[in-house]
Amino acid sequence: MAAFDYRQAQEIRAALARHGVRYLFIGKSGAILLGFPDTTQDADLFVDRTPANGRALAAALIELGFALTPDQATDIERGKDLVQLKNGPFDLDLVFAPDGIEHFEAAWTRRIEVEGFPVCHIDDIIAIKAVANRVRDRESLPRLRAFREYWEAKRKGGLQTD
Amino acid sequence: MPSDLTPGSQDVPHELWEAFEANAKRSLETRMRYAFIHTYKPVLDDAPYRAFETMSAYRLWCENNLPAWLGYGRV
Repeated sequence: MAAFDYRQAQEIRAALARHGVRYLFIGKSGAILLGFPDTTQDADLFVDRTPANGRALAAALIELGFALTPDQATDIERGKDLVQLKNGPFDLDLVFAPDGIEHFEAAWTRRIEVEGFPVCHIDDIIAIKAVANRVRDRESLPRLRAFREYWEAKRKGGLQTD
Repeated sequence: MPSDLTPGSQDVPHELWEAFEANAKRSLETRMRYAFIHTYKPVLDDAPYRAFETMSAYRLWCENNLPAWLGYGRV
């Protein structure tokens, strides 16, 4: 399995746009899109949990080369809280109910666009990790919070980081 | 850069500020090339598909099945 790369990110952006999927990059992959210098293995998407959106997402993923069975496509359509895919061109986590975010709509209104990629606001990314409170989150939160300060300072200063 | 945006300001340690600045100068494509890596994670990477009804079921599964050193356990 090769690591997620820019070309694949462009492909997923295009496929999800074609199918009209509402989603946001979250987690460390979202922070990386915002400019956070760190490493991660997979991409994490926060997906609006509606049957139509789930159906559209499953169709887009099959188009991208994910080997979804009918049952797996149904899981996505139903919007199980977490779906982990390692049966496609790259590893992808679909999160329908991230800890710390009440509604997709609220996160959507705060989203940041980075080269056309919809990304959760850094505050939401931090909130999700703070509530999840795993060992790995505890390790990354101080650097993420420092990045938030830097990122906000740049935005207030009118300087773009993306 | 405005005067209040000096390295180390805004409560950001100088070395981190410098790292953020260096990364901001890279294209998104380069940032992604440096950021996304593939390393084998035992158990987690051993199934092509998993789905969890709830996040709490997922957290419990992580705690019961993944090696602690992967860091997926709750604090």
